[in-house]
Amino acid sequence: MAIRVNPGFIDELDRYGAEDVQLCYQCGDCSTVCPHADEYYKFPRKSLRQLQMGLEQKIETTLEPWLCYYCGQCSEQCPREADPGETMMSLRRWLIGVYDFTGIARQFFKSKTSEILTIVIIGLLTGGFFLFYGFQHGNIHIYDGKDAFLNSSFIHHFDLSFGLILLVFLLINSVRMWYFTMIKGTPLKIPWWMYLKEIYQLPWHFFTQKRYAECEVKRGHKVYMPWILHLGLMLGYVTMLILVMVFIEQLQYGPEIRWQVHFFGYLASLGLIAGTVYFIRNRFIKNYIQYKKSHSTDWVFVVLLFFIVITGIAQHIFHRTGFYEIANYIYVAHLMFVVPWLFRMPFSKWSHLVYRPLAMYFATIRKETLKRQEKLTNPYALSIK
Amino acid sequence: MRIGIFFCQIDNGLKINIDSVAKYAANLQEVEIVQILGVKPRINIDQLAETIKVNQLNRIVIAGDIPGYFKPLFTKAAATAGCNPEEIWLASFNEHGASGEDANERAKAIIACATMGVPFSLVAVGGGNPVNHTTLVIGGGIAGIQASLEIANAGKLVYLVEQNGTIGGHMAMFDKTFPTLDCAACILTPKMVSVGQHEKIKLLTNSKVVSVSGKPGTYRVKIRQRPRYVDIESCIACGLCSEVCPVKVPSEFDEGISLRKAIYIPFPQAVPNSYLVDGENCTYIQSGGQKCGVCIKKCPKECIHLDEEEKTIDIEVGNIIIATGYELLDIRKIEQYGYGIYPNVLTSLEFERLTNASGSTGGRIVMKSKRINKKTQEEEWYFSPEGIPPRNVALIHCVGSRNKKYNRYCSRVCCMYSLKFAHLLREKIPNVNVYEFYIDMRAFGKGYEEFADRIRQEGTFIVRGHTASVSMKDGELIVKGEDIFHDRLVEFKVDMVILAVGLVPAKGTEELSRILGISRDRDGWLSELDYNGNPTDTDRGGIYVAGMCQAPKDIPDTVAQASAVAAGVLRSHTSGLGVGNLSSISLTEFEKRAKNIKIK
Repeated sequence: MAIRVNPGFIDELDRYGAEDVQLCYQCGDCSTVCPHADEYYKFPRKSLRQLQMGLEQKIETTLEPWLCYYCGQCSEQCPREADPGETMMSLRRWLIGVYDFTGIARQFFKSKTSEILTIVIIGLLTGGFFLFYGFQHGNIHIYDGKDAFLNSSFIHHFDLSFGLILLVFLLINSVRMWYFTMIKGTPLKIPWWMYLKEIYQLPWHFFTQKRYAECEVKRGHKVYMPWILHLGLMLGYVTMLILVMVFIEQLQYGPEIRWQVHFFGYLASLGLIAGTVYFIRNRFIKNYIQYKKSHSTDWVFVVLLFFIVITGIAQHIFHRTGFYEIANYIYVAHLMFVVPWLFRMPFSKWSHLVYRPLAMYFATIRKETLKRQEKLTNPYALSIK
Repeated sequence: MRIGIFFCQIDNGLKINIDSVAKYAANLQEVEIVQILGVKPRINIDQLAETIKVNQLNRIVIAGDIPGYFKPLFTKAAATAGCNPEEIWLASFNEHGASGEDANERAKAIIACATMGVPFSLVAVGGGNPVNHTTLVIGGGIAGIQASLEIANAGKLVYLVEQNGTIGGHMAMFDKTFPTLDCAACILTPKMVSVGQHEKIKLLTNSKVVSVSGKPGTYRVKIRQRPRYVDIESCIACGLCSEVCPVKVPSEFDEGISLRKAIYIPFPQAVPNSYLVDGENCTYIQSGGQKCGVCIKKCPKECIHLDEEEKTIDIEVGNIIIATGYELLDIRKIEQYGYGIYPNVLTSLEFERLTNASGSTGGRIVMKSKRINKKTQEEEWYFSPEGIPPRNVALIHCVGSRNKKYNRYCSRVCCMYSLKFAHLLREKIPNVNVYEFYIDMRAFGKGYEEFADRIRQEGTFIVRGHTASVSMKDGELIVKGEDIFHDRLVEFKVDMVILAVGLVPAKGTEELSRILGISRDRDGWLSELDYNGNPTDTDRGGIYVAGMCQAPKDIPDTVAQASAVAAGVLRSHTSGLGVGNLSSISLTEFEKRAKNIKIK
């Protein structure tokens, strides 16, 4: 099978953040220090090489970018300052654009203005819609109950329908990812039972992100702070998402919120606030190599999330202290941040929530199949690829 | 003659202040009109012709970085205006090098010559200062030795200044030279001896240049000579003093892998062949003559004078040759290779001394052994002649070279000497496994590629891929890397790691460049005037560079450059043109010279 070379690929990746790839002279230092590179998945050097050669169709089918958690050891070590860590990050952005069938993700990654404009427009539309709806059907002075400004059952239905649309997008993109990596990406025929055997990988990597923690093993640190905070952020986010999607009526309703909802809500807020503040701070002071270069989408990601958390908490405080009017207005503001954020989901970095566990799942399957194949054909071979 | 000067530039970022140059040009004789047309002007030929006609110009000077670009337009305009197109003169700033610090002055000189109708190259001839026929060579390595011998053999007096106790430099430390595998000492020591015996070479060891004044052709140099404490003339190098000396310090010549006494001779073939005292470590000198002093009693020739003082020598020379050489990058700051932490991680020079037959193990390649220091009761590692030879050795190329964090440049010799090491290892230890980790194999010289091929065929494992880390596991060194050609990550257990450390300018280079007033490039090497056309001259007339101090280079190149420098020096003696370069010619001098040149 011939692979078509795209000589402009390296320039295209410039827009996604990989600026210095052409500096790489293939010494292999990065692959050596990478804690995740193994006999089957050797990166970042190989990915950089493929990028330099413009093998767009090859990179499309690789899983290596998803196996990197950007701890930055490779970029620290790189004698050419070609920044392999940032290159892997850019490849992930590019891959999100490839998996997305609508092309919106590519547009967002390439053009800062289009993304911000979309967010602003959607935010304003949302604000207008909810204000209009609230003044038509409810009373601004009432926060919860039947005549509330924004009725919780209405919000519930809105959430669910919105979520469903996004889920469809994500599902289609995930299927495309599966097609690219598992059908186009490997010449081996993967037995169906392999998918069942490795299915535990999905929840395992989703909830623990264990490989992120392994990033720091080589440096000799016991706990890797970015991992802890990323995990906190993710768990807080998922908890909040479940609370909002499923339990919104109990969350918003009345003075007697159930203690379980209370408990999980506070815990999730804590995780979110700690995570966002930590990552925004790091992106500002650039203390680690992985925060030296921030793509515009990275900023949108953390800043939007930060505002969502702030408005959510403020809304809760005003509600509990009896300022129902202010609480209602802040609620609308909260929704103005939430809706664009949710809309961005399948088209932005956020979607790595889905792609990363999937990639780990696929990667393990590919590796196991390859091992099996090798055992069948040549028991002494180290690796064939 | 009525002259019009037109300024038109191509490049926006010139260092020249066009306004001040134009003002100067307007005051030149016979200049009628000066026009500044700006950057990339759109020239209207009719208008130009009108200007020429109105001012009745019969000579046009186009001044600019690339004025030839506009010449066709001016030719046309001149033809329509009735001015002779032969009389269009170009004052090209780019062509005649008006770009450095003295760009303004140079631009003025170029324009002055053009207005007088004199080609600038006829005027711009360096030199003119009468030359003193004595030469100073700074640095007694192979470059300094070669240059001194060449000049002295031509019958001119040379002062050779060396800061150590002996000449020879780094080449004296080497065992073999690549690619011919000749014995380095066999090439160098005869030259050293002839330097020592030459009646035209005044050898000043233990000396440093302190200050230089004067102009090209007559430099007054002040040299400070540290005391040697031993009379060179009467010392017979019997070694009795060294036997009784109680002080032991690491030997600089052996790169610290062996010990020497406070009174010592760097190596047996040293020139001048006499002992010297290390004043900083000598008990007698440090205690002010209160303690020790056994060597004085032991000396049969009574040539040790521990109360000797520092001397200052003033000389006047015509030319100065800098051959100060290099040193290794301090690789303690590159932590990933574990140098200084693991005993058997060596630098290239350390290995060079280890494998040298005059080294502390007599040329046996061994791993370090442990012993207990009697004074401090601490364990220390040293090379014992009875040590165990290594079974697996890793050679790592490009340590600190071609690395944006340390040296951006290629150190040029590391690939070749690493290959040489592989050969020496396989020659001296049977069944040794040698792994070479390289990024790009730079075998560029005569016979180098063949040498690399030979080493490959000898069975050295040559791994394309740099090693990122050296670590220790169960007492064995582990070298990790990526074998790119075989597409796998590799991990080797080795007994010894030799790092091909990058080269940096020698310690005093910056100070020396300040004393002599010559510039250095951004990596710290001394700059030559023109890398292609004039690789030995510096931007100050009468000062030359040779060898490694200019840029990393191998021994053949160093020797060749040293001889080339000698040719330059001798040319200045015999040609009668004197020395000096363009930047030392003043603007009035340019004008005067241009006036004196008659063009038919």
